[in-house]
Amino acid sequence: MKNTGLELRNLTVHYGHKRVVNDVSLALAPGQTLGLAGESGSGKSTVAMSVLRLLPKSARVDGEILLDGDDVRAMSWGRLRAVRWASASIVFQGAMHSLNPVRRVGDQIAEPMRLHNTPGSVTELLSQVELPEDKARAYPHELSGGQRQRVMIAMALACGPRLVIADEPTTALDVVVQAQVLGLVKRLVAEQDLGLLMISHDLSVLAETCDDLAVMHRGELVERGGTREVIANPRHPHTAALAAAFPVIGDPNHRLAGPGESTRGAFVLQERTEGPRVPSAAEPLLQVRDLRVDYGRTRAVDGVDLTIGHGEIVALVGQSGSGKTTLARTIMGLRNPSSGRVIFDGREVPRKGRALKAFRRQVQLVLQDPASALNPRHKVIDAVAEGLRVHGLPGDEESLVTAAVERAELRPASEYLQSLPHELSGGQQQRVVIAGALVLQPRLLVADEPVASLDASVRGEIVALLLRLRRELGLASLIITHDLGLAWQIADRVAVMHQGKIVEQGSVEQVLLDPTHDYTRALVRAVPQV
Amino acid sequence: MRLAGRLGGAALSLVMVAVLGFFLFRVVPGDPVVSMTRGRPTTAAMQAELRAQFGLDRPLHEQFFSYVSSLLHGDLGTSFTFRRPVAEVIGERLGPTVLLVGTATLIAVGLGLWLGVRAAWRRDSAFDRATTGVSLTLWAVPTFWLGMLLMMVTGDLFPSRGMRDTDTAPDFVSQALDVAHHLVLPSITLVAVVCAEYVLIMRSSLLEEMHAPYLVTARAKGLRDDLVRRRHAVPNAVLPAITLVFLRFGLVVAGAITTETVFSWPGLGLLFYDALTGPDYFLLQGLLLVTAGAVVVMNLLADLLHGVLDPRVKAV
Amino acid sequence: MNGFNADGFNADGFNAARLLEHKAGVAGAAILAVAALVAVVAPLLIPADALDVTRVTDPPWQAPGAGHWLGTDHTGRSIALLMVQGAGTSLFVGLTAAVLAVAIGALVGVVSGHFGGLLAGALLRVTDFFLVLPALVLAIALSTVLPRGLSTIVLAIGLTSWPSTARVVRAQTLTIEARPFVERARALGGGHGHVIARHVMPSVVPLVLVNATLAVASAIVAESTLAFLGLGDPTRISWGALLHQAQLHGAVPQRAWWFLLPPGAAIVVVVLAFTLVGRALEAVVTPKR
Repeated sequence: MKNTGLELRNLTVHYGHKRVVNDVSLALAPGQTLGLAGESGSGKSTVAMSVLRLLPKSARVDGEILLDGDDVRAMSWGRLRAVRWASASIVFQGAMHSLNPVRRVGDQIAEPMRLHNTPGSVTELLSQVELPEDKARAYPHELSGGQRQRVMIAMALACGPRLVIADEPTTALDVVVQAQVLGLVKRLVAEQDLGLLMISHDLSVLAETCDDLAVMHRGELVERGGTREVIANPRHPHTAALAAAFPVIGDPNHRLAGPGESTRGAFVLQERTEGPRVPSAAEPLLQVRDLRVDYGRTRAVDGVDLTIGHGEIVALVGQSGSGKTTLARTIMGLRNPSSGRVIFDGREVPRKGRALKAFRRQVQLVLQDPASALNPRHKVIDAVAEGLRVHGLPGDEESLVTAAVERAELRPASEYLQSLPHELSGGQQQRVVIAGALVLQPRLLVADEPVASLDASVRGEIVALLLRLRRELGLASLIITHDLGLAWQIADRVAVMHQGKIVEQGSVEQVLLDPTHDYTRALVRAVPQV
Repeated sequence: MRLAGRLGGAALSLVMVAVLGFFLFRVVPGDPVVSMTRGRPTTAAMQAELRAQFGLDRPLHEQFFSYVSSLLHGDLGTSFTFRRPVAEVIGERLGPTVLLVGTATLIAVGLGLWLGVRAAWRRDSAFDRATTGVSLTLWAVPTFWLGMLLMMVTGDLFPSRGMRDTDTAPDFVSQALDVAHHLVLPSITLVAVVCAEYVLIMRSSLLEEMHAPYLVTARAKGLRDDLVRRRHAVPNAVLPAITLVFLRFGLVVAGAITTETVFSWPGLGLLFYDALTGPDYFLLQGLLLVTAGAVVVMNLLADLLHGVLDPRVKAV
Repeated sequence: MNGFNADGFNADGFNAARLLEHKAGVAGAAILAVAALVAVVAPLLIPADALDVTRVTDPPWQAPGAGHWLGTDHTGRSIALLMVQGAGTSLFVGLTAAVLAVAIGALVGVVSGHFGGLLAGALLRVTDFFLVLPALVLAIALSTVLPRGLSTIVLAIGLTSWPSTARVVRAQTLTIEARPFVERARALGGGHGHVIARHVMPSVVPLVLVNATLAVASAIVAESTLAFLGLGDPTRISWGALLHQAQLHGAVPQRAWWFLLPPGAAIVVVVLAFTLVGRALEAVVTPKR
């Protein structure tokens, strides 16, 4: 079989009248590695799926898709089935759902081998992806996320394809596991001289694994070149926006929160709140003392001490399952601690009743996915006014809401007030959530992965907004994130959480550039570097 | 751990069945003896005697304790109409019902799941539309009416009353053939109604599964469409469908009552009809306990079967 | 994440199917409108004498013909008139029993979904228990012990057919409660009342509507079954009661198809109509994934 790699010529894909891929031409020589970057909706996954003709029947595909010289579009069903997996295979995103839940993973790896009559053994494949052979008898739910992704990779290699397409293979994984999986992919590609088409929204992931980089934007290919070159000197503004969204830790240019900003914030706050409750500079806004939270028998938060000053931005960093979300919910009074104290502005946070309700005005929550944080049936004005109505606050509702919405930089507010969430973009939705918090004039914002589900180009704007709110309103924030880059961009101090404990905390520079705890070091090392 | 939980749950359900059975027939407006003897010439003395015989003259808590203790001994009381122990009467009628319900369930499950799979896989095909349409219509059909219609349409082709003729030769083969002959109409009736439900369950279960990303994986591997269906989609979709089928066992029981009534099939369903026309409270209570108990046990079996078939359950 | 989700697969023919379902739903609604009109208007137009066994003069068991276009029953009453008269009872019982069942189910569902703890556990236990029990058997037992009458039938059906609604409503409540916007509402200071009224109820109500429509369908079948078993209100004519009479007086051996066919067909048509409307509503209400 001749082996000429993959070539797309003028590929265009329509769903109905909607064009999702527009005239994309792309060549990938055998053994070459190419990263395809783009935001959600850029059409990058549609390109990947079209290679094996896996698009739904409602998709109309024009142009040529040449796999080893043959046009996939013109193949008979029999020929297509023979080509699938044997010439090119796919590592799908979300291995949990892409593996059949009720069949052993060994069977699933062996299935294409039997189908295509390829010699080889499952044990051999598992050892290639560094899994013990007894995992062949496991069901997908019995494996960890990283192990499942390794199974997907073993499965993709089962028929010895010359090209592997990896569609966001590490998106759902923690940083440390992601680094391991990327390392594995890199090694296998080099050892077996595979062609690799890697799709991701994350430039640093692609930089780690691919020699070449192509960038898609709104269905079009806007840039293509050597990875380092494209990232260092982006020619298209969209590429520049993507690159900027993944800050380089240690690069002062990417540090948006300047030193001394927090004190300035506190100063503004003192000016604002005249009266009996002027916070003394010595007393921090929030103090958490030896806090423990149990879920049944598991201890999610284990003896945590944490302090947030007035107008200070603290990043709470850790992997999923480290207890950071539980800690945040407990600080907000959404969960009761098993023991320990949470002191806000010199007073213990009440556990129930009116006092708790009143406390909740002071601390507001911003969630990860703004699309689900807004009730799809509520208009913007209702979503933002919800807090006002809950607390029965006096004043003209519409003018308060308008002020909050404009503070969150949706201008003019009147254009948005009557919209439903689905009519807004992700960034606009997040601004509505922030406006809903601001309308209650809180003193502390707890933001749980505030930019994780936003597109790269929007991410920077939301980060800037949070910083501006601190500068102008003296609003302190606790930013919960797995993303060390975000911490570098925005935080004054960083607290690292691991298995329910805070293992290290200090200034951003200190913790991220000169970590002392082993776990922090592992985290910092795992960050893919552009 | 899981097994213990399920067994405990089933045991609790059985206790709830027993309590329900007691109160349903005691805490009712009016005197049970009066309503049981309604339309029969009885004197006050006879009624008092009956009351004493059934223990209805004692305080409620005493009645409850004696009810529970006799229940534990397998004693379901005495039937008013048959003048015999309820347990004995029910025992005699068990066989025919098991035969009818068993036959109908097996056919309905097989046919229903098969039709449901085919309909869902070719969604919106003529086959799908016809199957769904017929199923929805059959679901709307009262069981007893379908039975009566079948009886009228088939005329003398099949026997329509009872389970066997009196003049059949006593050898096993002739007897078996005779019973099978009698079984035709009742089981068609029961299958038609129950099967409709199963088709709809299986169809929607598979439709749910057709969105699953692992089917794309299977297609990408180069599997033929029918293999994607057979090896990947159906095994996943059948699991919840089977559980639902067992869960709806009460539906079969309900169907059996009216079917047996229409065809005079000498099983528990016909006994139910006899008991409620009496009314014979003790017999009715016994039947309620037995059918509800059977449903609880079927449900437990479904749970356990699900645990065996679905590897994900063990982890829970 | 990237504009190409798994939902796109097998999406072909999707719109056609929805359109068809809606068409069927529209047809169902039209049938129901006619049935309701008949049920309300007809009793006003039928002379009382025509349905009084003691006053009818026509011969019994008359096949359809010029005099009675659906024939007569065992007493000589016109089947057509009986059918029209019976529509009211069947629809009334179906509707009220369904409303009762769905009201109980919605209450139990929201309470057990929203509030955790012991109460929810107990409610869930009871719901599952009644869900498994054969509803018809319970309804039969209830209508045997209670005095005969319309309210007994409504109670017997309503009290035994709520669990499926409770299950669906509970599931929906749990789904909504797990959404981040409910957590956001709590963080804003919203209590139980606020969360239930502003977030849970608006998404439960359409579902309840769907369930109510489907519940009417099964309640009508249940009513006809109870009536067929002789547990109906002896003073009222319903389609089920007509079939009871037909069975009792030997319509089958006499091959009096005109006595047997119309009541059953009416039940099927009305029940099917409710089911179609319910399914169409469901298709509209359930957000497509």
